Amino acid sequence: MAPLTSEDYKTLEQSRQRLVQLTRSLGSLVSSLEQGDPLPPWSSIQAQASIISNNLISVTEHLSDHRDLLASVVAYPGPEYPGRTQEPMLQQLLRTKLDPRVEDWVARGRAAGMAAHASSSLPSQSTIPNPSDAAMTNTKRLNDAELTELWQWAPIEANQEARKRNWGGNYTLEEREAGIQNVVTGLRRQLEDDDGSDDDEEGEEDDEEDEMEVVGVHRKPSGGVEFDIAPHHTRPVQPVVPLDKILRYMTTGHMP
Amino acid sequence: MHELLLFASVPVHQHYELLQQLAGLTAMQPRHALERRLVYKAFRKPGLNTGRVGGSQDLQQANAADLQRVNKMLNGGMFYTQVVGPVSEKDFAAAPVKVTASELESDTQMAGMELSNPPASVQADTAATYDFDRQPWKLDFRDIPEAATRSAVTTRVMASAALPRGNIEPSMNAWGYGFVTEYVVEGDIFIHNDIVIFLHRVLHYPSDEKEPREPRRSLPSLKKMAPLEKTGSYVLQASIAVQDGSNQETMKTASQHLLGLREQLKSAVRLEPADRLSLDTRAK
Repeated sequence: MAPLTSEDYKTLEQSRQRLVQLTRSLGSLVSSLEQGDPLPPWSSIQAQASIISNNLISVTEHLSDHRDLLASVVAYPGPEYPGRTQEPMLQQLLRTKLDPRVEDWVARGRAAGMAAHASSSLPSQSTIPNPSDAAMTNTKRLNDAELTELWQWAPIEANQEARKRNWGGNYTLEEREAGIQNVVTGLRRQLEDDDGSDDDEEGEEDDEEDEMEVVGVHRKPSGGVEFDIAPHHTRPVQPVVPLDKILRYMTTGHMP
Repeated sequence: MHELLLFASVPVHQHYELLQQLAGLTAMQPRHALERRLVYKAFRKPGLNTGRVGGSQDLQQANAADLQRVNKMLNGGMFYTQVVGPVSEKDFAAAPVKVTASELESDTQMAGMELSNPPASVQADTAATYDFDRQPWKLDFRDIPEAATRSAVTTRVMASAALPRGNIEPSMNAWGYGFVTEYVVEGDIFIHNDIVIFLHRVLHYPSDEKEPREPRRSLPSLKKMAPLEKTGSYVLQASIAVQDGSNQETMKTASQHLLGLREQLKSAVRLEPADRLSLDTRAK
């Protein structure tokens, strides 16, 4: 085999650079997901994801451009390699089979690629399940994984959306500001703007009973979703007799 | 037996909401409970405290250690203890109480509760009298909570024993306990895995009666009972009983369960260990 030219060295060095970049951006996404409390906003996650995807594309392009060279190059230790002290690294370099985990990934990627190829007539070619995308096409049914993902995503998103609003009216604040006569409801009957008019009819107790309180929802660190069982009481009313006085009375009959 | 506890104070406006939350959390309807609680205090029996009971010098020396031990047992631990008797709404006042009882029911109980205690209402129709001589009692001893400062829950030694029905005054006196006062505890019980959740408050007997020196033989109308805490707030008590308190593993599990419940209820109430001295049962 002919010795490597300086061009070839450059190619190898470039692939290393690009892989390093990819690992870095993956690492930063992982750490921001693990350590960010609260989670970073979706826009920043999205930005990181697109960086990663760009990195992936550049790696793939690079690899396929230099396919001939990279497929023919083999690693072997030179005589000056410190085999005694750096043995694990040597083992890694001389491996001919992939790591079992990596093999799984490759298999999954291949399968996904085949599936995407088979259904290439559909607009959604990406192997990343995208709920809104799937909903738009309407022709493809969601598979189980996509359904699970949708269900995990939806309650939190819906709750967050719900918390932004003050419930209990027929119109949103935006609609009311823009003038309710302009709102197209699609209804024949006339919706009344109940913000002002019928308060006096219903009375205050009614309002309190009907009021649904929106409680918090957040992700558990172990995964899954956790609901607060009650809204936080920002201003707790303390009883007149403190708890320890009551307990003392219960224990000894000593009047507080 | 050991008992691990956490307490929280529940303002009255939050009571109904919390009942519903607990019903949801424990997936059970609240079990309404009314208890008469008699507080007894140990007193030093005259004549028992004599260190020297005569006899020869030799005998006294031989028994000195024993005598000391017996004395310590008799005089060392002097405690308040409670006698608890379950009662029902029909036990309060006489026949016309049924109205108050149903009012109270609709106040605190939720739909479906009527089904759980039909025998009580049937009995109420036939005999609306309170028979003090048939009243079951239970002796509840609680030690002062352990002084472990690290622990995030209140831990104390407990023991219960059934007592004969009816008038327990003579027996209690014979055991060296004197009647101090009595009150009624009204509340709802939930069971959540191994945790007993008791949301309760103390009711006083009407103050116009003069404080009797022994347990009441009849009960006034529930309507006349006034809450000890004037605003009517409740106490939430979460407890786990552990049979073998010397087993560190079980105690740890139990306190972890309690802390887990505290975490679950965090947004509704703040469960905390009680002030140790407020649960001090030692009689001074």
